[in-house]
Amino acid sequence: MADPKIAITVVVNGEPTVISANPHAPLRSIVEKALEESGNVGQPPENWEMHDQAGDLLDLDRKVESFGFADGARLFLNLKAGIGGQL
Amino acid sequence: MGVVDPEVSKTKFDRQVRSFRRLAADYRRRGWFLADATFPRVLVVMTAPQIKPSPVITGVLFDFTDFDLYPPSVRLVDPYTSEPFLAKDLPVQLLRQVPAMAVPFQIVGQPGMPVPKVMGRQPLMQAYGPEDVPFLCLAGVREYHEHPAHSGDAWELHRADGAGNVVRILEIIDKYGIRPLSGFNVALEPRIIGFAQTDIPE
Repeated sequence: MADPKIAITVVVNGEPTVISANPHAPLRSIVEKALEESGNVGQPPENWEMHDQAGDLLDLDRKVESFGFADGARLFLNLKAGIGGQL
Repeated sequence: MGVVDPEVSKTKFDRQVRSFRRLAADYRRRGWFLADATFPRVLVVMTAPQIKPSPVITGVLFDFTDFDLYPPSVRLVDPYTSEPFLAKDLPVQLLRQVPAMAVPFQIVGQPGMPVPKVMGRQPLMQAYGPEDVPFLCLAGVREYHEHPAHSGDAWELHRADGAGNVVRILEIIDKYGIRPLSGFNVALEPRIIGFAQTDIPE
């Protein structure tokens, strides 16, 4: 029997997209899916960071199930600052 | 006068505002409040809910004139007046850790010793002097792309990635300017108000 998947809403730069996530896969897999499905393919996944509703940064190497997300949980994916802070 | 049909910019502005409002409850929990959204400007007030009592830290004023031929202008402003902060009055510098440019000789000069990672602090808010209005030195922000030092990093390289989105820019300000705040710095100034007296003779 296939593992049950959970629906996670990933808000990419403010725009929500729903991803069906494998609980046993690393969180990174959700990042890749969300970027692909939202059409954000101009920057590699490592240039993005993900956090929860409280704003806490999430470790992308941890498995999805280890976070205990409820079905329908909302996560936020945001483009990192990159270079900057120099004149 | 703008170069983009205001209707075009307003349509994109409205989309940004709608996106924010759709998740306003989430953002409010993090201390972000949409105070005004009248084209072409959006004012968001950012607070620090992790500190008790919770302080208002800054206003963030976006200007979407000519968006998205150009990125939005972004200023940290007094949330009560919308006046941009001068560099000397900035409530937060948006400090980030970056690898230091120079490693001290005595550290690299010891054979067999691992070279420690030397980090320096760099503010994302940049200005030439304390009386200047600082700008957010970040790709996706108009003031960054208009600066001659960043002529090699054109807005067109970032536009499709959503680098100029309201939420994305607020996330950066939050990460470097709001979430690291852990409390109040307090200065106490003792004042002489008289003499101490240990004894009162009969």
